[in-house]
Amino acid sequence: MSLQYVDPTVSRKKFEREIAEYRALENKYRERGWLLVHAEFPKVLIVLAAPKLIPAAIVMGVAFDYTNYDAAPPSVRIVNPFTGEPYKFKELPNPLNRALPRQEIAVPGIPAAARMMLAGAQPYMQPHQPDDIPFLCLAGVREYHDHPAHSGDVWELHRTSGAGRLVRLLEIIHRYGIEPLIGFGVQLVPQVGFNYGPPPP
Amino acid sequence: MPSANEIDLTVVVNGQPVQVKANIHEPLRTMIEHALQKSGNSGQPIENWELRDAMGQILDPARKVGELNFPPGVTLFLSLKAGVGG
Repeated sequence: MSLQYVDPTVSRKKFEREIAEYRALENKYRERGWLLVHAEFPKVLIVLAAPKLIPAAIVMGVAFDYTNYDAAPPSVRIVNPFTGEPYKFKELPNPLNRALPRQEIAVPGIPAAARMMLAGAQPYMQPHQPDDIPFLCLAGVREYHDHPAHSGDVWELHRTSGAGRLVRLLEIIHRYGIEPLIGFGVQLVPQVGFNYGPPPP
Repeated sequence: MPSANEIDLTVVVNGQPVQVKANIHEPLRTMIEHALQKSGNSGQPIENWELRDAMGQILDPARKVGELNFPPGVTLFLSLKAGVGG
């Protein structure tokens, strides 16, 4: 839990602005499957559903913590939408994969004219171990800026661009976590059962 | 009163709604610049922003406003792109 070191009046006012602006367009966000279920300074819980699936599916919850906003960016966790518990990496319904640029590679023994393309993906949700609670590896997120690997990309470079704003972060999580869901997959596994033959007379 | 070549749009910039007038013969890019200026978002180049309609479809900033047949008072959403991250 973070200690509130910024004047709480300032953080609360900015938090309330985020919520008021969200509420003003709440119907439009709900059409996209965003359901605001809890907002009390400094925390917000939004449940993301996939309305284009039939039946529609609740996919994940996103918990924001705006403690010290906006001297510090918000904390963002992907959580179980029913319990509010943060998912471990191995439990994530979707690690928010993004496609990487395709790379041409040379394979020994294959003629140069026969090109091989390597297509990869990298998750926006990053853990150290599968049992860790992952963080959203994105500028504008507290866990990103607190990570020692990102000490060269400080929050102050992003603070005035709105990188930590609620709707901006939801747009990105929606794009990589919800939009790629295009339908339910059903795998059929046919099995043939054999009964015993009658016993010998 | 808006001219026949102008339409009124609501652009939600990172969650903050702003009202802008857009000329139907101009590309969306011009309207995006107005919306960013009006909302006080000057820190990032326009290439770092992404415009979507209410259903989340990305709109190409090079397209002309008139080509998209927006109904009056339509709401569009402008957000910072994710960036490289990782």
